[in-house]
Amino acid sequence: MNILVCIKQVADTEARILLKSDKKSLEIENKYNMNFFDEFAVEEAIRIKSKIKDSQITVCTYGTKKAVEALRTAIAMGADRAFLLDNTGLDSDDPLIISKILANFAKQEGFDLIFCGRQAIDDENANIGAMIAELLGIPHVSAILKFDIIDEKKVRVESEIEGGKETLEVQLPALFTTQKGINEPRVPLITGVMKAMKASITVVDPSTFEGLSKELIDMTASKISVLTYETPKGRPAVKIVDGETPGEKVKSLIKILKEEAKAL
Amino acid sequence: MFKDIFVFIECKEGSIRKVSFELLSKAKEISEKSLSTVYAVIIGNDIVAAANQLKEFADKVIVVNNEKLKNYRWDIFTHVMEQLIKKYKPYAVFGASTITGKDIFPRLAAKFNGAIVSDAVGAVFDGESIKIKKPLFGGKIISWIVCKDDSTFFVTFRPNSFPVEKRSLNGELIDETVDVVGDPRISLISTDKSGSKKVDLQEADFIICGGRGMKGPENFQMLEEIAGVMEGRVGASRAVVDSKWRDYNDQIGKSGKTVSPKLYIGCGVSGALHHTMGMDTAKVIVAINKDPNALIFQYADYGIVDDIFTILPVLKEELIKIKQEV
Repeated sequence: MNILVCIKQVADTEARILLKSDKKSLEIENKYNMNFFDEFAVEEAIRIKSKIKDSQITVCTYGTKKAVEALRTAIAMGADRAFLLDNTGLDSDDPLIISKILANFAKQEGFDLIFCGRQAIDDENANIGAMIAELLGIPHVSAILKFDIIDEKKVRVESEIEGGKETLEVQLPALFTTQKGINEPRVPLITGVMKAMKASITVVDPSTFEGLSKELIDMTASKISVLTYETPKGRPAVKIVDGETPGEKVKSLIKILKEEAKAL
Repeated sequence: MFKDIFVFIECKEGSIRKVSFELLSKAKEISEKSLSTVYAVIIGNDIVAAANQLKEFADKVIVVNNEKLKNYRWDIFTHVMEQLIKKYKPYAVFGASTITGKDIFPRLAAKFNGAIVSDAVGAVFDGESIKIKKPLFGGKIISWIVCKDDSTFFVTFRPNSFPVEKRSLNGELIDETVDVVGDPRISLISTDKSGSKKVDLQEADFIICGGRGMKGPENFQMLEEIAGVMEGRVGASRAVVDSKWRDYNDQIGKSGKTVSPKLYIGCGVSGALHHTMGMDTAKVIVAINKDPNALIFQYADYGIVDDIFTILPVLKEELIKIKQEV
């Protein structure tokens, strides 16, 4: 089984994000991780490889040179090879462009199975997986909770739907996005970390892909433009509701919620 | 200027979801300024009654009623939408940032080589284009985005982002017959809709959320009772879900669901950043925690410092009284 896992390096939840003075760019504190939902994707690929021995796991990301760190984490977990689709000089956040780049990479390499995280925790977009699938003309199932191989051509998955779950059988090649609940991502062992530090990571210029010139994937090709960034309006300091007894406190709260906050 | 807007309508158990009315209200506000037409697009099975309900909110209601559309499948629904978009060529397509919206909209955007903005919380028309408001980094930053309109563009909005405003429009019903075919490479084996009667966490106006301070899964029954009184929903922090006290479906936070209810009450929730990133767009936040230094109080509008187990029974009684008054 030839498996591709598309990952993203994202700012840590705790990282400080500051607006630059032009309000058109951001300064992000240097704290980055592999995207939370992508860890489930890498883990699932590793579990498949442990069942189907001749499998190969490729991880790739579209990002800056720094994103190599996320690729090394995936190798430390158990991925076999890694590709950085270098965005130097391109720098677009447009999901359509990123999906085109990832889909072209997948097409060039040829995969039976593609995993992505359900969504990135920085932009919460949840677009890349389904867009790659559309561009490749293959089926996808979002937010899977269970994954079983039936044979080399077919898999059975369980996914979250509105108000429940459903089980589907899908012919390969296909793409699946993973979410919490499908597995418990492993913490890399020290031997894995050592291997990852030495691993060579192929850096690819996406504009060299067939059919993707620089003009088609740089900022000028972007379908979306950020006009401005702003910081959200902060809430005023909390009002602690006083009272001698729990009953008094609750009654005061209810009064405030009805009359002041108009929330009841 | 033709800036017609499609609103993709979602139904749950035969009823139109509240978020779809919210989107129609926002789309109509924009269309009044851009002198354009709002189309509600409803596709499914046995949806005539639901379609009639939409007439008051949209200028036109496109209905694709077909028994093969009984259950949502991205492949079939995407194919139906593709045909409608090709025929009507809308300027923009609005949808909800729900499981369904997140499934179908990216595929449509890729099909039409169009822009997509997901999980937005606001939109304004400035006379030329629609500016879209979208939070980033768990709400630490707000971005204002504009889409290139060289082809139809697609936007999904977080539920509870806009008020519902009925316009009494008496919109025209348009029955459309299109190809309804799915991808033969996918087959449905079984469906479990055991949670379908619950209010959707992202759509709930009232959420009462339990944290580690609830001490055990059995104590969530009290929260369920209060949510029942308020026709709302129980949420849970990550620690609670990781402890297997509650299902992952209930998890609010960075790795769970992002919610924007009218009223959120956190009970024994510590206020870890992971959790607050999923709920800080709630209109009103109340925290109940016996620890006066709990982080949650930094995010809350109102707080009660006390033992949740003495507060909750009284809270339930008071909320029952309010409901009886109404």
